[in-house]
Amino acid sequence: MNALDLSGVAVTGRLQPVTLGLPRGSLIGLVGPNGAGKSTLLQVAAGVLPTSGKISWQGRELRSIPVLERARCAAWVPHGAQFEFGFSVRSVVSQGRFAHGDDEKGVDEALARLDLTRLADRSVNHLSDGERARVLLARALVTEAPLQLWDEPLAALDPRHGLEVLRLARSLTEAGSTVLFSLHDLRVAHGLDRVVVLRDRELRACGAPAEILTPELFLDVFAVRAHTAPGLTLELP
Amino acid sequence: MILPARYVRWALPILLALLAVLAVAGLMSGDMPLSLARTWAGLRGDDPLAATIVWQIRMPRLIVGILVGAALSSAGLVMQAFFRNNLANPGLLGVSGGGAAGAVVTIAAGWASASLWFLPLGAIIGALAASAAVIVLARRGASTERLLLAGVALNALLGAVTSYVLTQYTGLYERNTQILFWLMGGVEDRTWEHVQIALPIVVAAAVLWPLGRPMDLLSLGVPEAQSLGVDTRRLRRHLLVLSTVLTALATAVAGAVGFVGLIVPHILRLLVGPEHRRLVPLTLVGGAAFVLGCDLLGRAAGGLRLGIVTSLIGGPFFLWLLRKLP
Repeated sequence: MNALDLSGVAVTGRLQPVTLGLPRGSLIGLVGPNGAGKSTLLQVAAGVLPTSGKISWQGRELRSIPVLERARCAAWVPHGAQFEFGFSVRSVVSQGRFAHGDDEKGVDEALARLDLTRLADRSVNHLSDGERARVLLARALVTEAPLQLWDEPLAALDPRHGLEVLRLARSLTEAGSTVLFSLHDLRVAHGLDRVVVLRDRELRACGAPAEILTPELFLDVFAVRAHTAPGLTLELP
Repeated sequence: MILPARYVRWALPILLALLAVLAVAGLMSGDMPLSLARTWAGLRGDDPLAATIVWQIRMPRLIVGILVGAALSSAGLVMQAFFRNNLANPGLLGVSGGGAAGAVVTIAAGWASASLWFLPLGAIIGALAASAAVIVLARRGASTERLLLAGVALNALLGAVTSYVLTQYTGLYERNTQILFWLMGGVEDRTWEHVQIALPIVVAAAVLWPLGRPMDLLSLGVPEAQSLGVDTRRLRRHLLVLSTVLTALATAVAGAVGFVGLIVPHILRLLVGPEHRRLVPLTLVGGAAFVLGCDLLGRAAGGLRLGIVTSLIGGPFFLWLLRKLP
């Protein structure tokens, strides 16, 4: 059974009808040039943007899932969230437990996994963009939702935290969760289980990276020429 | 937040103690000052004169003050979470003005004397209409600029309505003094009937009590709140009705008292941080204490009305807040 099924899902002016299914336990990259509709697709998949068409999580139609339960099924990490009020980091992370009766389960672990323990009492408005991105990921983590939808989680991260987040995503999928996230680094996308390619608000391709991330696609979608060459590679020690 | 984390849990007991002190001071002071012993005797009914003063004059005023303060400050807190803007409050957005206009029209039309309940009903209708207008105006985002301008426009419109009613009824002295009362806002000469009108504020506060956590999430914006499990449509509807009813009831018994909903949540947020679970009880108690304090201050200053005192404090406070805006 697929973790996520979209069938003819469209948003007027922002996304042409998209039909795709993403298998459980996979790590999936969502790529495409600026304005291709990546954020829109993630919002639609997360059920936070009204849309035509049908969305199913684990085979259950979204419409049939009560709002509170939805938060236990899928977690959405927005890109560059704004906070009007300066909540503490710990408080924001524990917001992910709202749908679980506001217990604090997993909050300390999530803070530690995203290297936020020493920032726990800091106001989110006094953090750098990268730190704030990690706070939102920690919040998504504590929801324990099997479907994780992250909007450009790596964009503001330094190399080390970027690699750690990728490792975290991999460990989630190994435990049976599904992670779909948008990104711009096509070299990272190349190492994922699957990629979804958007162009001009349309689904262009979906499949294993080795099969679809071809030089032709790079030129067509991103207008760049791709070479395979030895170069700098970074990994966690 | 200014207060170290370990002291935050003391904020509520301290505010309650402050409220109690102010309440006792409110019962003791007035045209005929009573000693603590005599106030106590009056409360117990041992001293007939003191009993009349305490129970018939000062107690209703005290209770109305507590209810009005709790209502206006919590309405401000709710609006700030609703619009995701910490300058939002009933006075600024014209909801108080709507309530006052509704009340004035009710009085001018002579309905207010027909039934005790027509006046609050008029205030609620006026406040609801003003809320609806603000919601429509803020549909495309509630930036400070938009909210301020919407408030300016609404307050001007409502001011015109009230002035028109006033000029139409210049002959009716009694009605005009009643109307002036609502425009300036105050808690003097309140009776047990006013307490009765304002009593549903207790119910509204009880409904608001458990909504602190969802309000935290709503302040992140509708999509985020939704994704975290909040039924945003329902919550927003509840909060809108609550803030409107709270404002309208307060306005119905005390007229347009400004700035309480701006000052109290602001100061408390500075002290204990922005979590609404904590702020809801604190603003209820803190608002009551603030209004009692302002009323006492006004009395000490020789009979300044409550609405004037809160505006004298609130105006400069608001300007100070605006100065900090980018």
